[in-house]
Amino acid sequence: MDLTAFAVAHASKLGAEYAEARLQSDVGNVYLMKNGNPEVAGFVRERGLGIRVLVNGGLGFASVNLLNKRLVEKRVREAVGMARASVRVMRKPIRLSDEKTFEDRWEVKPKVPFDNVSVEEKMSLFSDLNKTVSSPEEVGISIPYRVFQLIEKTTEKHFVNSGGTILSSRIPRILFLGLLTGHETSKGTEQDSIEKAESRGWEAMKEWNLMDHVKERAKILGKILKTAEEAPKERVDLILGNQVVGLMVHESTGHPYEADRILGREAAQAGESFVTRDMLGKRIGAEVVSVVDDPTLKNSYGYYLYDDEGVSARRRFLMKDGIINEFLHNRETASEMGVSSNASARASSFDREPLVRMGNTFMLPGDYAFEELVEDVQLGVYIKTFGEWNIDDRRYNMRFVGRECYLIEKGDVKGMIRRPILELTTPGFYGSIDALDKSLTFEGATCGKGDPGQGMPVWHGGPNARLRNIRLGGI
Amino acid sequence: MTAIEDVSSFIVDTGLKLGADEIAAMTVRGISKQVRFANSEITVTQTWDETSAGILLKKDRRALVASVTDLSKEGLRKALRDLLHTARVMKPHESYAPLPEGPFKYQPIEGLYDKRVSQLGDEAVDYVEAAINSALASGGKRTAGTLLAKNTEYSLVTSKNVEATHRKTAVNLAVRCLANGESSGMGVACGTNLGDLNPEEAGEEAGRLAKMSLNPVAGKSGRYNVVLSRIASAVIFDIMAGMDSAFYVDYGRSSLVDRLGERMASEKLSICDDAQVKGGMGSTPFDDEGYPTGKTSIVEKGVLRSYLHNSFTAKKYQTRSTANAGWIDPHAWNIIVEGGEPSEEELLGEVKAGLYVNNITYVRFQDYRQGDFSAVVRDGVFAIEKGEITKAVKGLRLSENLIHVLQNITALSRDARQISHWWMEWDTPSVKTPLLSLRDIGFTVPTK
Repeated sequence: MDLTAFAVAHASKLGAEYAEARLQSDVGNVYLMKNGNPEVAGFVRERGLGIRVLVNGGLGFASVNLLNKRLVEKRVREAVGMARASVRVMRKPIRLSDEKTFEDRWEVKPKVPFDNVSVEEKMSLFSDLNKTVSSPEEVGISIPYRVFQLIEKTTEKHFVNSGGTILSSRIPRILFLGLLTGHETSKGTEQDSIEKAESRGWEAMKEWNLMDHVKERAKILGKILKTAEEAPKERVDLILGNQVVGLMVHESTGHPYEADRILGREAAQAGESFVTRDMLGKRIGAEVVSVVDDPTLKNSYGYYLYDDEGVSARRRFLMKDGIINEFLHNRETASEMGVSSNASARASSFDREPLVRMGNTFMLPGDYAFEELVEDVQLGVYIKTFGEWNIDDRRYNMRFVGRECYLIEKGDVKGMIRRPILELTTPGFYGSIDALDKSLTFEGATCGKGDPGQGMPVWHGGPNARLRNIRLGGI
Repeated sequence: MTAIEDVSSFIVDTGLKLGADEIAAMTVRGISKQVRFANSEITVTQTWDETSAGILLKKDRRALVASVTDLSKEGLRKALRDLLHTARVMKPHESYAPLPEGPFKYQPIEGLYDKRVSQLGDEAVDYVEAAINSALASGGKRTAGTLLAKNTEYSLVTSKNVEATHRKTAVNLAVRCLANGESSGMGVACGTNLGDLNPEEAGEEAGRLAKMSLNPVAGKSGRYNVVLSRIASAVIFDIMAGMDSAFYVDYGRSSLVDRLGERMASEKLSICDDAQVKGGMGSTPFDDEGYPTGKTSIVEKGVLRSYLHNSFTAKKYQTRSTANAGWIDPHAWNIIVEGGEPSEEELLGEVKAGLYVNNITYVRFQDYRQGDFSAVVRDGVFAIEKGEITKAVKGLRLSENLIHVLQNITALSRDARQISHWWMEWDTPSVKTPLLSLRDIGFTVPTK
């Protein structure tokens, strides 16, 4: 009997009404170049067993990385004991929704495995990027700080639960990060973060065409510093770029529709939600707006076919035509709300409990061409990318500060605007959208949640969106 | 092989045999227990039993690190071979510096280990129950939080005659209380000793602030005099400590670039990093390279005195290590903010009109280099009128510049307290801080 099956059997023997065990290994390499110089490179070789038990309605979790039977036995016993003791401070026992059982194996096969590419090639890519962006002739601006990071990681999981589900998976993920700081005398600095991420092998890196992308972003920093003017003070129409729309739906639809937040489980840390369980079916946005979360998108950074409770993944329709349609559930929240899990339970490593998380959250595109969004805007601002952002703990009051932004006058995109501040309520945002274009692009990100924190790979995306009659924020 | 000293020694011996020029191994065994609660009931109990090894390997002026949890001899040999293989094809490190030559004498630090914390079992549930009951008795309707008890042992062995061990415990209780969806309060208790854990006090603070937060009025955009609680002040100094790491200065991810020797903060502000503090949650006798730790003045009467260094950043900046390694990035151990003259009541009493902010969360920068940021304030945001808290305020967002905030400190309260909580996102282990009084601080509100 392998250790996962042993852990589950042992927990059941000790009285757990439910048990699951996940043997997970993460093999990752991290390369960093800072201002043209290779920094200390890092490897992660992590492997261990996470065990979760439900005892008398109390939930317990334990993890070990020394994979011997005696230690597993000890920690399972302790998890069962602690879960049982916790029931004293509970009014209502935790229950899990009934779900189908599966026996399956799934994987993402890289076309070019990370190990097939030499470290020299990886570092030479950074050297080329650095050479280009450090040349004012190439990018039109001085970029005194240039940081590039590559993280390649392969995750393998073997999951067993007491219901009879047995799943194995293997998935490679690749993440590129860049931070550029442009400087112009008398204008100060402007920074840009660049992030590309997919669940693929090295082939993703080739298809991203990083040289052109990074060079373009560096040039934009120069244009902002040299030409951008103050944003208009009067009310304007806004065109929000794909990147901005993507993060906004992640923050203001994805997070507040996480059922554990709605039920208050994350209240002490990231917070709760302005959305309550009785708001299903209520209007929250304009009819043109629909938001989905889909972990099954091929190549996506948030890709998975089964979640970390062994439930089969599917597309979740969070907002349909402006109406709140579905929440993100694990088996605990699904049971509490009387529905089935929609496979939103994810754990970032062997030593983390699965939590309700997004996969790939995005606004569905509309039917306008970009030019059509712009053509009847008399006075507006096009916020193509963002820098600073945050949102309150109920996901109601959000702020985005534009990075690459343009003035729109009489239907034409004109010169650059520096740092317009968009500070809106969530209904204010979704209720102000009147048109979406046909485009759909995604950005990779690592979403944070939980205590201890869990960084989870996700995509967020959307089309370009037009909002009417907005006053930009600031003091 | 489970004795952590044996694992560290095996890594160093084997690494040298395989061809490393220098090598350091930090093996850490940690057993942590956590009780999480929400809606005034326990949501999960967790135990982590983990032993992992960190390896720093140097070869021909190249340096690589690894984190390994497979501590079998075979697993460690494979990790070392991987490191050596990669080292051969990397370019040399620009600021290469050798490991410090030991042996060193390390001063024992008092109050870092409490056997009662390491033995804490089911009674953790009692502490949580006490915190919940106290919060509810003080006026809260629902309470949520986390109790964490950690027991950690470290073994550092280097090829430069360093063999050092250290153990410590930590307890951390965060209690957030909600009186309704918009009205919340937060209390924190933390330290290295079980005696630092006062669940009733943390619960009472959270419950009282939640009750005071009821019936908030909508805030208005503008500039205010502000008093920051210790929980909120700790967030500001956590960021500042992170940005004082020479690694992040060099990264452009810092507002402290080119400010050494500059009066960049109020002259009332003095900050140091002290790894030797009795009972300090980040205290350690040695850093990750083996240097004996000490105290580093960061800000002295408003003047930036030092960045935090390991050997590599020290080489680049042509200075000495401050014994803050981190093999990749140097970092603070315990940030100590010097208290001022007034009591808390006197500090508050001096504010004729302004705001009191209990917690700062979700700090995000538009530009780290310039320091422009905004943050969500919560868990007790109140109007101050004639030196007294009068009513709760909602909907405000702190919209500021880090240097402007530091320059506009007008007073610090007398009593500093050690703080560590979830929203200290730059991972400073602890910040000992008093309350801060500031002037001319910007807040914004949503426009739609």
